[in-house]
Amino acid sequence: MKTREFWLLFFPSLVVMGGLLVLPLIRTVQWSFEEVRYGTPGVFVGFSNYIEAFTDERFGKAVLSTVTITIVTTFLLLVFGYLIAVGVNRMTRSRPIILGIMLVSYVLPNIVGAVAFSWLFDDNFGGIVNRFIELLSGNQVLWFTDQVPNGILIIANTVWHLVPFAMLIILAGLQGVPVELREAANIDGANPLQMHINVIIPTIRGVLGFVTLISIMDVLRLFDNLIPLSPQAQAIGNESIMLYVYSVAFSNGAQRLGLGSAVNVLTILIILVMLIPFIRSIFKEAKVVR
Amino acid sequence: MLTIKRRAIPAIALAATAVFALASCSAGTRTENANATQVSCDYSAPDGNTTVNVLAYNSSAIDPFTDTMVSSCTTENVTLKHDPIDFGGQVTKTTATLAGDTGTYDIVETYGFVIPALADAGKLLPLDDLFDKYADDYGLNKISASMREGMSYDGSLYALPMQAQMFVMAYRTDVFADLDLEVPTTFDEMIAAASVIRDAGVMENPIALPWLATSDVTTSFQATMNSLDADFVDADGQVTLDTPEGKEAVEALLALKPFMDPQVTTFDQPKVQQQMFNGTAAMSIMFSGRMSDLVDSNNSKLSESIGFAAAPKVNREAQYSYNRLSIDGWSIPFNTPLDSEMLFVMMASAVSEEASTSAVPAAYPAREGMVTSENSPYGAAANESMATAQPPVVSPILASVTTEIRPILVQILTGGISVSDGLAAMQAAGETIAG
Repeated sequence: MKTREFWLLFFPSLVVMGGLLVLPLIRTVQWSFEEVRYGTPGVFVGFSNYIEAFTDERFGKAVLSTVTITIVTTFLLLVFGYLIAVGVNRMTRSRPIILGIMLVSYVLPNIVGAVAFSWLFDDNFGGIVNRFIELLSGNQVLWFTDQVPNGILIIANTVWHLVPFAMLIILAGLQGVPVELREAANIDGANPLQMHINVIIPTIRGVLGFVTLISIMDVLRLFDNLIPLSPQAQAIGNESIMLYVYSVAFSNGAQRLGLGSAVNVLTILIILVMLIPFIRSIFKEAKVVR
Repeated sequence: MLTIKRRAIPAIALAATAVFALASCSAGTRTENANATQVSCDYSAPDGNTTVNVLAYNSSAIDPFTDTMVSSCTTENVTLKHDPIDFGGQVTKTTATLAGDTGTYDIVETYGFVIPALADAGKLLPLDDLFDKYADDYGLNKISASMREGMSYDGSLYALPMQAQMFVMAYRTDVFADLDLEVPTTFDEMIAAASVIRDAGVMENPIALPWLATSDVTTSFQATMNSLDADFVDADGQVTLDTPEGKEAVEALLALKPFMDPQVTTFDQPKVQQQMFNGTAAMSIMFSGRMSDLVDSNNSKLSESIGFAAAPKVNREAQYSYNRLSIDGWSIPFNTPLDSEMLFVMMASAVSEEASTSAVPAAYPAREGMVTSENSPYGAAANESMATAQPPVVSPILASVTTEIRPILVQILTGGISVSDGLAAMQAAGETIAG
């Protein structure tokens, strides 16, 4: 491809990315060093927004809660995504139907899916899961006011929403595993578990790394589904970083746009720190391929 | 033939996409109700095409007034635009639109709780001159004087009242009749009735109150303090939370808690309504705008078993009822570029007698004498509640203090901290706001 052709094709994307990504990012970093309210220019305050965030116990709890949910959810996405992908990979005629049904949870707007999901656990709207639990154990679980059950609820909904994406990507990876490798492993006497652990998973580790990377990025920005699933998030310690930003910067007439921007910058840094191992791995693989 | 088939499929796909796109463009851009009342809206239109942007949350009590304004005041050259929004969205957008020298909205729905802060900051236009000019044309003097007072600050009117809401108790008439119970008039009587209902095996959690940890819970606490003739701050702006009244109010709420759902701090008013629809609660206290839904047969098979009563008092000696009088009205932002006289006429038309009459029973219009026991199932209860509500404390810091103390109050109610520690913490938080 000639250079001119490249720039002709690439330039529109560059403009869009610059306008929608780079400019807001620059403004966010700028505001993170200012005290900013709606409609007025910001006043430079140095690092005081960052100091306030670091010394705010509520922010610390939000980080801990979000990182914990992210790690558990990502692990479950990899496990369930892999298992479901292996199952779907063996299907032939029914595969399109199964994929179509599975994708419903992914294409539903997150807030809509979370509201419907919450009804399974809310006695006011049927609470069918509660009925089963009470039938089996005679106990009542306070899904919305106890921290651990509520955390499980959030993780379950997030996994339900994102597992189709993880499954699709891993399915594509599975279809790229050379048949000869499997045949060779079979000849060497590998059982199914050894086949997966020693042959298939190492072969698709780049795909698994990609799924991990995207999952971490998505789950760290948890917000929508907390509204119906955790109405008391702050009080029970399940507030996410994004919900904290919304509270300090927007809700109830708040106007701490500078503090909200500082927390967003810190969130970007947290995401980068968590992604370093995977980004390094992807770059290594790219070097090997070249 | 094959070529035609190949072209047909992409063409059909493109047409389908276009249909979806056009349909979604028009969806949700207007809330003009086909059944909106048509009233006179006689203003001097500016030259050229003009759009008037209206900010008002959607609810069964507010929609009749908004729909009347949009449908009656829209002409060939002037378009009133109102997009659907919930209350939380309105709060956020109000803050944003009033922040700078230019805003997005030309008419905003406001309520008594925020008028002092907005008026004190110069964010709303005073309406006294316009009120006097158009009072006769639109019968504005028939709007309740006390409600106009509630929408005033420092002697000036800042919002034209459209409707009010007050706490009303809804209860299960069949359960009360079966167990030979009297309608409670105090918290103790509510607890006694709830105990009888629970002991009879009818319901486990007979009392339902909206105590959502991110909003409603402080309204409930404030209503309890108001019953005891107190509030979060006094008229001089002094914070009055760590007081005997504050302690009594918190303890009164804690006494009700064992008879409510264990997850009550996640319940907003719609969830409390749902408890009444489902028959899992026998008594609830909510704003009056939620009452007509309870007797709608489309919502519940129990609709004919719901009765209404005035909000109870915290105790027999209390001067006022457990109540908050929330007045909704229309205001003109300071930063609108449009003619304020035109905007006022639009607001006045929306609260005209015809518009107010048609809003009953969904709303309790601000015009006096509109709601009676004949035209509203909860009319008598609402009138009695209104008569026993504490006159509001006017302070520009009240809204900010409420937001600041809310997480602490939730900690007290969920047992995270003791009553005395919680009251001290709320007092300190409030004093930080007061300065």
